[in-house]
Amino acid sequence: MAIEDALLDGKKNLWRDIFCTDIYKEIFLKRNLIQELILKELKIRYSRPFLGFLWTFLSPFFIVIIFYVIFSLFLKVKIEEAPFLLYLMTAVFPWRFFQDSITASTTSLVDNKNLIRESNFPHYLIPISISMSNFINFLPSLVILIITSLLISKGLPVFILFLPLILLIHLLIVIGLSIIFSVLYVKWRDIKYILEPLLLMLFYLIPGFYSLRLVKDSLPPPLFDVYTYNPLVGLLSLYRISVLKGFYSKMAWDIKISTLIFITLSFAIIIFLLGAYVYKKNRYKINDYLSY
Amino acid sequence: MFIRKTDTKSMIISLTNTKEKKSGMPIHNAVELCSVGRQCRFLKKSEQNSKDSAEYFWALNDVSFNVYKGQILGVIGRNGAGKTTLLNIVAGILTPTQGKIKINGRVFGLFNLGVGFQDELTGKENIFLNGSILGATKKELNSKLRCIIEFSELGEFINMPLGTYSQGMRLRLGFSIIVNLDCDTLVIDEILAVGDLLFQNKCFERLMEFKRLGKTLIISSQSMELIERLCDSVILLDHGQSLFLGDPVEATNRYRALLNTEKFFVGPVKKNINLVENTKKWTDDISNWGKELGTKEVVIKKVEFINKFGWKSFKIRSGESLRIKTHFTVRSKIKEPHFGVAIFRNDGVYCYGPNTKFEGYHISELEIGNGYFILDYYKLFLAPGEYKISIAIWDKNETIAFAYNHGYYRLIVEGDYNVGNQLIKIPFICFPRKFIIKDMPHPDLNILKDKWGSKVNSEGIEMQFVKLLNCNDEECSILTTDDPAKLAINFCKFTFNKDSYLWVGLYREDGVYCQGIMQPFNSGNSYMALFSKLSLLPGGYTFSVGVWDNSARKFIMSHHAVYPFRVVFDQEDHGTIYLKHKWSWRLP
Repeated sequence: MAIEDALLDGKKNLWRDIFCTDIYKEIFLKRNLIQELILKELKIRYSRPFLGFLWTFLSPFFIVIIFYVIFSLFLKVKIEEAPFLLYLMTAVFPWRFFQDSITASTTSLVDNKNLIRESNFPHYLIPISISMSNFINFLPSLVILIITSLLISKGLPVFILFLPLILLIHLLIVIGLSIIFSVLYVKWRDIKYILEPLLLMLFYLIPGFYSLRLVKDSLPPPLFDVYTYNPLVGLLSLYRISVLKGFYSKMAWDIKISTLIFITLSFAIIIFLLGAYVYKKNRYKINDYLSY
Repeated sequence: MFIRKTDTKSMIISLTNTKEKKSGMPIHNAVELCSVGRQCRFLKKSEQNSKDSAEYFWALNDVSFNVYKGQILGVIGRNGAGKTTLLNIVAGILTPTQGKIKINGRVFGLFNLGVGFQDELTGKENIFLNGSILGATKKELNSKLRCIIEFSELGEFINMPLGTYSQGMRLRLGFSIIVNLDCDTLVIDEILAVGDLLFQNKCFERLMEFKRLGKTLIISSQSMELIERLCDSVILLDHGQSLFLGDPVEATNRYRALLNTEKFFVGPVKKNINLVENTKKWTDDISNWGKELGTKEVVIKKVEFINKFGWKSFKIRSGESLRIKTHFTVRSKIKEPHFGVAIFRNDGVYCYGPNTKFEGYHISELEIGNGYFILDYYKLFLAPGEYKISIAIWDKNETIAFAYNHGYYRLIVEGDYNVGNQLIKIPFICFPRKFIIKDMPHPDLNILKDKWGSKVNSEGIEMQFVKLLNCNDEECSILTTDDPAKLAINFCKFTFNKDSYLWVGLYREDGVYCQGIMQPFNSGNSYMALFSKLSLLPGGYTFSVGVWDNSARKFIMSHHAVYPFRVVFDQEDHGTIYLKHKWSWRLP
C-alpha cells in the first residue's frame, strides 16, 4: 500500500507507532474542520425543533423527574450522603452525555457515508465531533446541576476546582470509546445491538440511584474493590465529590479521591490510545467496508 | 514529520509529498500512477446457502499514467469499467491494493454533486462545511464566499436549506466551491451532465482557465463531445484495464467501437466474455512437424480431406468447401476430451486452429471403440500454396494431448496465382469497379524489405487520407472479427502513369504478408475496398499503400506498414484467419 509505505518510510518510529502521535498532531491541525463538524451536528439537531436549543435542558430534566418520581416517591429510596434529587441529577446528566455520544458515534461513520466516501479527510474526526457536540450539550445541564446544588445545599465543595480535570477525563473516555466502536461498527454491524443491553447494564451497575454504602454492605471487601475499579463508578463519584457539598467527607472512608482520579485518568488515557490504535490499524479498510 | 505546516493540505497528500522529495518525482508531474490496481470483494448471495461467498475481482488492474501540470486527462469507459475507482484513487479516497501513486499538491474531488452536503443546512453553511472538509481554512472560505455564490448563480437560494435544491442547483453549488478554492489537481466524475447547457459552457470555460493556470484536471464523462473538446489525452478503461491512452479522438473512436461489440455486464471477468485482443498463437515451430505426439490413449487412424464434390482429395481450390474427417480409435476411457484441427502454412505461419473447447462444446467421455469427427469449412479462403494440418485430441485444459499428429498431413490449395506469398484471400469488392486484369503483376516485395513503417512520397502523387471504416461508416482503428470493413483511399494530387497501379497490402504486425489488393491507378482520386467480412482473428495488423509502375520492380510512392489497426473478438482462437466452420462427430 503506497501510503502506508510512505508512512513507514525511513526510520521506524516506535514512539510514533505505539502512541500514534501523528494522529494527535492531525487532530490539532484539523481543529478548524472539527469545529465546522460540531457546528453541523448542533445545527442539524436544533434547526428544526420548535424549542431549539432549549431541549438540551429539557430532555435530561424529564428523565430526572421520572427517576425521582419512581425511586423517591414510589420506592422511597433514602440516600444518606446527599439530597436524593441532587444525587440523581449528578448521575443522570453525565450518564446521558456518555450514552448519547457512544450510541450516536457508533453508527456515525455509516451514517455519514456520503461525507466519507467523497473526500479523504480522516474518519475519526466524525466520532470526535459527535462526542464534542454532545459535550457541548452536556455543559448547560452541568451548569444547572451546579446552581441547583448551590441552592439546595447552600454552598459548593472545594473539590469543584477538580471539575475541569474530571470533565477532561470524561471527554477522553467518551472520545476513545466512540472511535473504537465507530470503527468496529463499520465492519461488525452487530455492535449496535450488543451496545444497547450493555449500556443498560452499565447504568444499573453504577451507583446512580442507590448508595455506594449499600454496595459495600452487601459485597465482600475484595469484590467491593473490584466494583470501585470500574472507571465509570469512579467518574460518577468524582462528579459527586466535586459538586455536592459534604459528599466527600461522608464517603472518604470508602475510597480516596486520589485513587479515584488515578483509576479514571489512567483508564481514559489507555482508552484514548487504544482508540487511536484501532483507527490506525483499520484506516484503509474503512472505505472498503463502507461501500456496500 | 509528514505533516506540512499548513493544514490546508490533506494528510495523505502531504504524505506523498515527503515521499516525492526522496524519490525525485519530476516537479512537472501532477499525478503519477504506476501499475495501480485495486481488488474488490464481489459478494454472491447464493440461494441454498445463506452464507455469502466472497469472490475477488480487480476493479482496476495495472493502470499506469502520468499527468503533467496543466494537462487535462479524460477517463472514458463503460459503466463499471473502473472510472470512478480510478478517480477515487487519485483523489486519495481509496487506496490501491497494488502499485504506487504519487501526487504533487492538493487534490479536490467532485464525485457526487458536492462533498458531504447536508440537507438541513443552508447553502451558505454548506459552503463552509464542504470547504472545510476539502481542507480550506475559514479565512480562505470567507474571502472566496462571494466568488462562490456569484459563480453558482443561486441568488437568494443560497440562504435556503439544501433540501429544497434541485440536482442541478446542487451541482452548481458543489462545482462552484471546488472550482473557486485553490487547488493543484481537480478530479471530476461523471456529473457535469446534470447542469444546464449555459452552466456547462461556463464550467467548460472555467476548466480551460484552470488549464491556463497550470492546474491539472482529471475528468470522466460519457459525453464524447466534451471529452474531445476538453482533453489533451484520454484513457480508455474497460473491465479495470487500460485499453488505450493517448489522443482523444482516437480514444473516443475506440470507445465507440467497443460499444458496438460488447455486451454489457459488471462483475468478475469471465474469460470468454472478455474481448480477446490477441490470438493465442501466430506462428508454430516447424521442427516438430511430422511427428506423432501424445499419450496414445487415442490413436488417429485415418484423416480424409473431402472436397466440394464429395471426393477424397488433398488438393482443393481456394474458396471452396473442405471437409476434414478424422477416424480414431480409443484405447482406454478418457474424460472431457476436445478435438482440434489446425492449419499451418508450410513456413509455420498459423492459419487457423479451431477446437471444440473454444466454441463451448462439451464431450463428457470417450468410451473404448472407434469413432470419427468432422470439421466442415464452408469456404476456405486460403491463398494458393501448400499447407500442413495438425489433428489433435486434447484433455480438458489443453495440457495433455491424447493424440497429436502435428503438421502431419499435407493439403494443397490450388488457385490462380500467388505472388508474394500471400496467406489469405478474403473476398472483397473494389470501387471504382473496373475490370481487373488477371495477370496484373504483383509488386516485388523484396524492394520494400527495409521500408517497414516508413513513407516514401513522390512529387506527382499526394495522398489526402487513408481511412479504415467500420460497418457504420465511422472511422476507427479497432475492428471486430467477421464484421464488415471498408478501406478508403483518397488522393488530392495524382498524375496517371500509363499502366501504373495501386497496391494495398495487408500485413500482420509481425510482418507476415496476408493479402494484397491491386487496382489499376487510372480512375480518379478516390479508391475503396470493401470487405463484407473481415475474417481476421484478434491481434495487431497494419496495411501498406503503394503506387507501382507496370514493371512491378519500382514503386512511385509507398507508405509501407504505416496504417496500423487492431482486431478484437469475443472468442479465443488460434491463428490468423477466421474461417466459418461446423463440427460434427460420432463417438464410440
